[in-house]
Amino acid sequence: MLVVLVLADPTPGSFSHHLSERAGAGLRAGSHEVIELDLCELGFRVEMTAEERAAYHGDEPICDPMVAEHVEIIQRADAIVFIYPTWSSGVPAILKGWFERVMVPGVAFRFDDRTGKVRPALGNVRHIIGISTYNSSRATVRAMTDSGRRTITRAFRVNTGFKTRTRWFGFYDLATSTEAQRSEFAAHVEREMADLR
Amino acid sequence: MTRALVIYCHPLTGSFTEASNERVLAGLRAAGAEVRLTDLYADGFEPGYTAHDHTEPAVDPVVLRYLENLSWCDTLILVYPTWWAGPPSMLTGWIDRVWAREAARRHDGGNENAVPQHRNVRRLVAVTSHGSSKMINLVEGEAGRNTLVRSMRARCHSGADAIWIALYAIDSSTLAQREKFLRKVELRISNLR
Repeated sequence: MLVVLVLADPTPGSFSHHLSERAGAGLRAGSHEVIELDLCELGFRVEMTAEERAAYHGDEPICDPMVAEHVEIIQRADAIVFIYPTWSSGVPAILKGWFERVMVPGVAFRFDDRTGKVRPALGNVRHIIGISTYNSSRATVRAMTDSGRRTITRAFRVNTGFKTRTRWFGFYDLATSTEAQRSEFAAHVEREMADLR
Repeated sequence: MTRALVIYCHPLTGSFTEASNERVLAGLRAAGAEVRLTDLYADGFEPGYTAHDHTEPAVDPVVLRYLENLSWCDTLILVYPTWWAGPPSMLTGWIDRVWAREAARRHDGGNENAVPQHRNVRRLVAVTSHGSSKMINLVEGEAGRNTLVRSMRARCHSGADAIWIALYAIDSSTLAQREKFLRKVELRISNLR
């Protein structure tokens, strides 16, 4: 399978970066082809520009070569893995911007000509996987409903195939975690990625 | 007197969000509120959380001004279009870099009690529009609404109100429905006391 890792963390050497490396290693061990999109490293533009918003409902909604490159990759992907730290219960702005700028009409979905309703267009994606770190406990994250996870496993999920599977790997209480807990979690992620079918 | 901070987020002039923002401001004038308006796109705000943000105090003058406005207000009003179930990345960046800024840094020290709160904020309001229906938004999990009424409200004054003013299915709405919504926005904002 072609698996795309989408990483959104501005701090080099962070635990999210480590998890991305371990996920990549697991996937390669499972003989998958891996493409990593490290959004901060790539200097991906965060916000949707006025030009892009004006073009959004037209015939040419893609205005940026980096966006076009990501679109081309995503349209071939069998699985997408999102890796990011959760702050304030949502995805970081740069990942939110990636959805807005890459997942445009004609890529993630299309508007039905007759009814104007949204139809899914990413039937090629069979797995959606999220790996996120949290500074709060699992209970607190539940109480806040985890907007980032919902954005990915629900709002994004509806654009993929009927049989697409979602999986979530959450590492809670990051700030007070021990080295042993982190390394156990990273090893778990690597094993699960190697077993992805 | 109400001290209202309005965070307006839309890249285009002539948008429905801009019209909503004008009605918010009209409502606030009618309520006799003191108003500070932030237009994130016009300010050229950079929404990307940086490695520097993660380790150092704010130095970006725009961020410093935004932090000062945030500690000044008692009413915070977010005016934005809902994209991908939540606030645009531009507004998400304001949440990451301004609203949650100190929290993210100090959390890493492991001391929950040191996390600054926005106890001065007694009212949180969102004025937004969704392309798809209420039904689809429920299926998709209403991430934007939950961010406001749960996550953000938890950091405000303990008795803070969260007010959600949203137009669903704007893509298939009629002009009359949109005008009705704009009247509702102005009326509800003008009733804030």
